[in-house]
Amino acid sequence: MTKVSRRSMLKGGAAFAAGTTLGAPMIWAQNIKDVTLRQFGTGVSNLNDVANKVKEDLGFTLEMTALDSDSVTQRAATQPNSFDIADIEYWICKKVWPTGNLQAMDTSKIKNYDKIVGIFRNGKLNPDSVIAQGTAPHSVGFTEGPDGKGFVDNESGWMTLIPTIYNADTLGIRPDLIGRPINNWSELLNPEFKGKASILDISSIGIMDMAMVVESMGEYTYPDKGNMTREEIDLTMKIFTEAKKNGQFRAFWKSFDESVNLMASGEVVIQSMWSPAITAVKAKGVECVYQPLEEGYRSWGGGIGLSASLTGLERDAAYEYINWYLDGWVGGYLMRQGYYSAVPETSKNYMSENEWGYWFEGKAATDTILSPTGDALAQAGEVRDGGSFQDRMGAVACWNAVMDENQYMVRKWNEFIAA
Amino acid sequence: MALPIMAVLVFFLILPIIMIVTVSFWQATEFSIIPAFDLENYEFLFGSNVTYRVFFNTFKYAFITWVFTLGIGFTVAYFLAFHVRTLTWQIVLFLLCTIPFWTSNIIRMISWIPFLGRNGIANSTLISWGVIDEPLDWLLFSDFAVILAFVHLYTLFMVVPIFNTMMRIDKSLIEAARDAGASGAQILWNVIIPLTKPGIMIGTIFVITLVMGDFITVRFMSGSQSANVGRLISNDIALLAYPSASATAVVLLLTVLIVIGIMLRFVDIRKEL
Amino acid sequence: MEPRSRSFYVLSAFFALFLLFLYGPTITIAILSFQGPNGGLTFPMRGTSLHWFRDLFEQQAVGDIWGSFRRSFALGLMVMVTTVVLSVMGGLAFRKRFKGSSILFYLIITSLVIPSILISLGVGLIFSQSGLDVHWSTSGFGSQLTWTLPFGLLIMLAVFNRFDKSYEEAARDLGASSWQTLRHVVLPIIGPSLIGVALFGFTLSYDEFARTLLTSGSYNTLPLEIFGMTTNVTTPVLYALGTLTTVFSLIVIAVFLCLALWSTRRKARAGSDAGKGML
Repeated sequence: MTKVSRRSMLKGGAAFAAGTTLGAPMIWAQNIKDVTLRQFGTGVSNLNDVANKVKEDLGFTLEMTALDSDSVTQRAATQPNSFDIADIEYWICKKVWPTGNLQAMDTSKIKNYDKIVGIFRNGKLNPDSVIAQGTAPHSVGFTEGPDGKGFVDNESGWMTLIPTIYNADTLGIRPDLIGRPINNWSELLNPEFKGKASILDISSIGIMDMAMVVESMGEYTYPDKGNMTREEIDLTMKIFTEAKKNGQFRAFWKSFDESVNLMASGEVVIQSMWSPAITAVKAKGVECVYQPLEEGYRSWGGGIGLSASLTGLERDAAYEYINWYLDGWVGGYLMRQGYYSAVPETSKNYMSENEWGYWFEGKAATDTILSPTGDALAQAGEVRDGGSFQDRMGAVACWNAVMDENQYMVRKWNEFIAA
Repeated sequence: MALPIMAVLVFFLILPIIMIVTVSFWQATEFSIIPAFDLENYEFLFGSNVTYRVFFNTFKYAFITWVFTLGIGFTVAYFLAFHVRTLTWQIVLFLLCTIPFWTSNIIRMISWIPFLGRNGIANSTLISWGVIDEPLDWLLFSDFAVILAFVHLYTLFMVVPIFNTMMRIDKSLIEAARDAGASGAQILWNVIIPLTKPGIMIGTIFVITLVMGDFITVRFMSGSQSANVGRLISNDIALLAYPSASATAVVLLLTVLIVIGIMLRFVDIRKEL
Repeated sequence: MEPRSRSFYVLSAFFALFLLFLYGPTITIAILSFQGPNGGLTFPMRGTSLHWFRDLFEQQAVGDIWGSFRRSFALGLMVMVTTVVLSVMGGLAFRKRFKGSSILFYLIITSLVIPSILISLGVGLIFSQSGLDVHWSTSGFGSQLTWTLPFGLLIMLAVFNRFDKSYEEAARDLGASSWQTLRHVVLPIIGPSLIGVALFGFTLSYDEFARTLLTSGSYNTLPLEIFGMTTNVTTPVLYALGTLTTVFSLIVIAVFLCLALWSTRRKARAGSDAGKGML
């Protein structure tokens, strides 16, 4: 109850601040300490370390709630009053944006907007890059104006999400238990790994992993993996349902930590995996490789969205937070976990030369590489799996996707899990 | 006097059921649900053979779990009620059975994972004894693991009501039977079991409904590889497909109520309390 | 005493095995919670230390264990008090036939057997469709009551089934008002069972997962937090929490047992004071 009254009081304070233009910054600086913003998202980036640093640098309170991808989608779509800031992935944005629960953000207020990598602005890493299949972030990253409900494919000045984090995903393997090189996605269904493979149970991501495998097996080449027809969905599911019935999979996982446990305990030796999961397995002293594959990577990106109900002082605080987010400290923190920051050049200021060389430039480490929590991840001389930023993000074959036939796909996915 | 309890049930039991039934006829898009009258959810549900397999699975889990919990629960209750002689010991041993019940269900469930895993205690023990050469994969992430966890979680719900009815059996009846020359087995079969029937029925109702409504044990213990009806519903909920979740929920509710309705024919709960 | 039969020893062995089965996993995680700082969720053990218990009291990378513990504790107390009060009222009402009593009884049974996730789904839908915000202390609270009230009421029905009405008649004959009879005769007699109802109410709520899943809103209760941790945590801190919750449950039981013991003692003493009047 106290919180409600404090929040409504703040809104009053904001109106006052807006009324006294010149004196505003002073009042603003005083008031902002009392602001509390509620952020939710996946465990990937909803870190308490970030909230602590926000309190230290900006003075206001950030409340973090970490959920799995499905719950995140659910809350963003159905409970707009339960959050101020949504930390979501771009494919989730494609589902949530039309509900009107998020508000468009003015890029002119984003200090580092011009430094954001091309992937999030025009879809191209380099001017001559080809845009990968699937729900590419730039395609759902802009809307027509402050009240836009749709997506536009140019830099309109109004963003749906401010990009923060992204990565190129591939299969994780236990080299010590496999004992031979792995070069293709098709290895996931290789009978050699019967009962020792796993795939993630999040339909929008899993279907793309499946598509990579199907293409790699030579069973079928999709005109567009990111937008399958019903027949293509049926075909993909059929191949995987058969594999499942033959006992190919040990388990399915839903959050990245489950994949860590499966891998670290040796239940599974090859599976779809996310970068920090590899990091976590290695931190336990278990050998694990994020194997680059010939067919390329399946990529994803996430960003920060503002609740439609956010106004006044709180919205100002949220913009302040976003600018701070892109300013490098968080970027460096995320990069040292193996993700990429949307504005790599600011993150560089918060990383040592050795760290920057290892994580971004794909150089051999000159000294031990530590995670943000202090675990040793690599020794001097080691090189990051997959190499440099350009090598990895340049080899993206597809993005996590929400298709036109999404509802059909989801039902088929449910049947696959239940089969 | 009964008004407050009635009010709670109206708001949090009857209204939700009405809501679920209503929504089961609605339509859904990616992100919202639209009021409509549409049988599509039911058509899809009954049109997919996965549904039948999942319902079969649910009954299978319920039945096997029931057999094991009944066998174990009855034996334990019988031991406590007729072979432990002092009340103090009965209470002490009974409490000993209930203590694990107070730890979070989820923690108790996942604690099987390090026990049953490929490199878990069970496998390494069996290997060191020379019983097996290769780790047994079916110990974890299998139907075996699911049922083991169910039995572990719910046997107590069988022990308590059976123990309760056994304690109320007049000991002189048993002595009378013995004096009349009945053997131990005959006493068990002709005196104790018939008199314990109400407790068995109550325990059965508990176990069956808990297993049929479960969705989390199956997910954890099968490594997401098997499904029961509860998981079908929770998957749909996770994907915001509320109408189709509701349709499945309606069918599940009817199934459970029919099963329980049949059981209540055999026992008058109010009289037996 | 007659000598123990052979079946006694067979059954004792069976009982011992049953206990081992019940406690096995709890012991497994208790052992694993004492791992060294590099420990994982599975065997083999990686060192031994108290690291994860200390870790539990520090801030986690994600989530808020102690906040959710406080919420669960508060919610447990709310549910406990409500369950006790409403069950006693319901139990008293059921002593006479009243209009709708059999409907209410079947509703209670339905409430007991309905799969938890249906309550969660239904209540969640009602709140979202009517534009209300779900919160653990409103929608979560109500949803949990549908689970604890059947237990409470059924226990009260059992108690009143065996209640000797002559005590009340005696009180009335001595000129006690119906409130006085309730306060000084009925409640003291059913007191120990009320402790049972309270214990049920608290622990069923404290441990409830499915009914709170879609009805707790922005802030997690402890079981939801634990569920979140199983997907977000890869360290034995989860097991340390499990070990601590077991210890905590033991303390709660011990407290309630002492209360029950104390109240029976007091009643026994009060019984010997018979004749001094009830005021």
